[in-house]
Amino acid sequence: MDFDSKINQQSNFFTILIHLSLILFIIISFQWSPKNPYFSEVELWDAVPTVTKKSAAPPKPQSIKKETVVKKVETQTPKNTSKEAEINLKKKKQKALEDKKKKEEQIKKVQEDLLKQEQIKQLQNQLLEAEKIEKLQNELLEQELKTAEQEIITEDKKQTKRIALEGDKDLEAGRNNGELDKYKALIQQKIQQNVNNNLCGLDFLSLSFEISLLPSGELLSDPLLKESSKNPSCDEAVERAIFQSEPLPVPTDPKLFAKLKKLKLKFYPNGQPQ
Amino acid sequence: MKKSLVYVSLLSALMAGCSSTPLNDAAEPGAAGTPNSLEESLSLDKLRSDSLLTQRSVYFDFDKYEVKPEYQDIVNAHAQYVADHPNAKVTLKGHADYRGAHEYNLALGQKRSVSVKGAMNVSGANDDQIETVSYGEEEANQNCQGNECSQDRRVVISYEVE
Amino acid sequence: MKLIKFFILNLCLLAITQTQAIEVIDILGGKANELSVAVTPFVGDETNNIHNVIKSDLTRSGFFRAINIDAVKSFPKNIEDVDFTFWSALKSELLIIGKVEDNGDQIKVTYDLVDVFKEKLITTLEFIGKKNQDRQIAHQISNLVYEKITGTPGVFHTRVAFVKKIDNKKFTLNVSDMDGYNSKAVVTSTQPIISTRWSPDGEKIAYVSFEKKKPVIFVQNLKTGERKLVANFKGNNSAPAWSPDSKKLAIVLTYNANSQIYLMDADGSNIKRLIRSRSIDTEPTWSPDGKSIFFVSDRGGGPQIYKMNLDDDEAKRVTFEGRYNVSPRLSPDGKLLTFITMEQGSFRVAVQNLISNQVMKLTVGKNDESPIFSPNGHMILYSRKLQGEKAEIATVSLNGLKSVKIDVGKELTQEPTWSPFDF
Repeated sequence: MDFDSKINQQSNFFTILIHLSLILFIIISFQWSPKNPYFSEVELWDAVPTVTKKSAAPPKPQSIKKETVVKKVETQTPKNTSKEAEINLKKKKQKALEDKKKKEEQIKKVQEDLLKQEQIKQLQNQLLEAEKIEKLQNELLEQELKTAEQEIITEDKKQTKRIALEGDKDLEAGRNNGELDKYKALIQQKIQQNVNNNLCGLDFLSLSFEISLLPSGELLSDPLLKESSKNPSCDEAVERAIFQSEPLPVPTDPKLFAKLKKLKLKFYPNGQPQ
Repeated sequence: MKKSLVYVSLLSALMAGCSSTPLNDAAEPGAAGTPNSLEESLSLDKLRSDSLLTQRSVYFDFDKYEVKPEYQDIVNAHAQYVADHPNAKVTLKGHADYRGAHEYNLALGQKRSVSVKGAMNVSGANDDQIETVSYGEEEANQNCQGNECSQDRRVVISYEVE
Repeated sequence: MKLIKFFILNLCLLAITQTQAIEVIDILGGKANELSVAVTPFVGDETNNIHNVIKSDLTRSGFFRAINIDAVKSFPKNIEDVDFTFWSALKSELLIIGKVEDNGDQIKVTYDLVDVFKEKLITTLEFIGKKNQDRQIAHQISNLVYEKITGTPGVFHTRVAFVKKIDNKKFTLNVSDMDGYNSKAVVTSTQPIISTRWSPDGEKIAYVSFEKKKPVIFVQNLKTGERKLVANFKGNNSAPAWSPDSKKLAIVLTYNANSQIYLMDADGSNIKRLIRSRSIDTEPTWSPDGKSIFFVSDRGGGPQIYKMNLDDDEAKRVTFEGRYNVSPRLSPDGKLLTFITMEQGSFRVAVQNLISNQVMKLTVGKNDESPIFSPNGHMILYSRKLQGEKAEIATVSLNGLKSVKIDVGKELTQEPTWSPFDF
């Protein structure tokens, strides 16, 4: 019994540890800010963004809900003296003015209330949004935790499953890999046609460049020589081939393009020994 | 008078400057001695009239140096002559057709001469009476077509006295 | 503990999968192509010689292809004038521009080598010389461009020598610029001259002459014009080959036997037998390190090329393709062997890689002879016979892309040799 509980304790301890460190890793590596350091400052869109009017409703003109104070001017018979009438009229006028003022104040108050309500509402919405995002992130976290767990525990099973599913065209992941390979092959073909190995002598040398691409297929900057062939003329000739191959064939799907926007090109200008 | 002297010396200086190094042809190997005694000792009349001895060329196949059977008689005749006349000196000059490298053809022509010499040795001719040289393709017909070229693949037998 | 290890390993796996994975594409092979270059007339060059010489030089090498610029009206003087869009539209990868300033009897020539794709200046230089040195200056520019792009020094300033047969009765040994200009006779004879060999120190040419009614060997000093008869032994004297230090000559003597290879000092003294055989041994040539001699022998039946190290007496066979392989010469780095191979009756220039033993045929024939490497090993000079009694000398690039005649006139021209870099 003792032995069993000991094992239990250990396994509990380790599962907690694993979970904790997984969370730690995911937190560390998860990109909280969507900033991509490799792109320039320019915002790139697939299409012209439609302007979404998210501004507050335009201030309504004050006159809409104007309550027309219908003044009923009583046409009294002038029985009293004109002075009395005047005073009465004055009083009436004053009263009307006061009423008007009051009404205006009321309207103002109502509008203020409305505004306040709107603001509250906005805030509430924002809160809701924030809550939503938090919820989403939490969900994602959970998901990743789950998948990471699965990967660690059933790594072998997944491998065999993947191999078995490779031929299965209905698998979304499988389809994506095929597309990726297709574009890699297109890029490889286009550059290979331009490789002039005349300046690369007769030995079996190799060299590699790293390139960064724009969605147009053009180079973001000069290719970066990672491994030289030790023959500078050959390095230069291969770099020229890369330039001459612009624009490279790249997918329009942004997710797929993202996998190809940085590439390592390994060259064997004289082929490889048989 | 002075002027023309100057002109002439100037001209000659110019010509001397412009000229390349000319060569003098080597003196022909000459034979000294009285014709009559030589003729007798060398039986020149025989050399000039005998049906076999008047034939001076031995022909070869492409890139080959062995004496073909049809030329054996000629070679033997000359070998006999040389053996019989210790004063006689014979030169075997080998040639090749124009195809291939100059130096290799020089060597091939030489090998042909040496081959004829070997055949003559067998018939009794002495080595110190025979000289073998080669001209390779240098006298060949550069324009020969097909069978024509066989004319160039030969060894020419010539005697010092001639 | 096992569990801890398992734990750490999987953390690492996570860490790795969290970093951004970059796709790798392998690109194998390529095509040997010439680099396209636009060589524009130098502004101020009255004779238009300079850019034409540069264009011929670079094209001959087999590394460059000159863009047709006949339709272009005006040419830039320097990099600031260059319209890159225009030149890249013409599909020119490189651009050579320049200007010539006339200073009385002197000229100042400036050139710019421009990278059209990168839109930048690669290199520039200024030359000052006499007006009649314009071709030399152009050759220097070709050399600089060549070295910048290929990493190997150019040979466009070097000289060649060759034999001309004039009117069927005169033979001359001539020396000219590598492109055939400024040809001058250094020997005139009524008898054939063959097997010319420029000494590695650049001072002398050895050759075989038939002036003594049989082949003998001369060595001629190019500066003084003095010629010395170094080999006149009994029988044939031929096939002189300079040792890399120019102090010795391997030659072929026959005495009264087959051709055999001997060694002597360059002045004709200290003659000794080098190779002993009962067959034809001829056409010796030295390896650049001076340690071996390659030669032709028919000891195996037909002529093949063999190699012998000077410190042992063993001859090893080098050529195995075909039944007729002659005229061996080594490349300056000793890695390649050029020779003439006969294939179905056609004599062609071939090159064999001495490490892989792969053989490439560089010319189609039909009657090619005497191949020799350029001082930088990138081209081969040879002679080719044509219909009738005609022959000419030409260069072929090592990549086989370009074969260009060296124009020295209509006369039958053969037996060429190449000067070293310095002469």
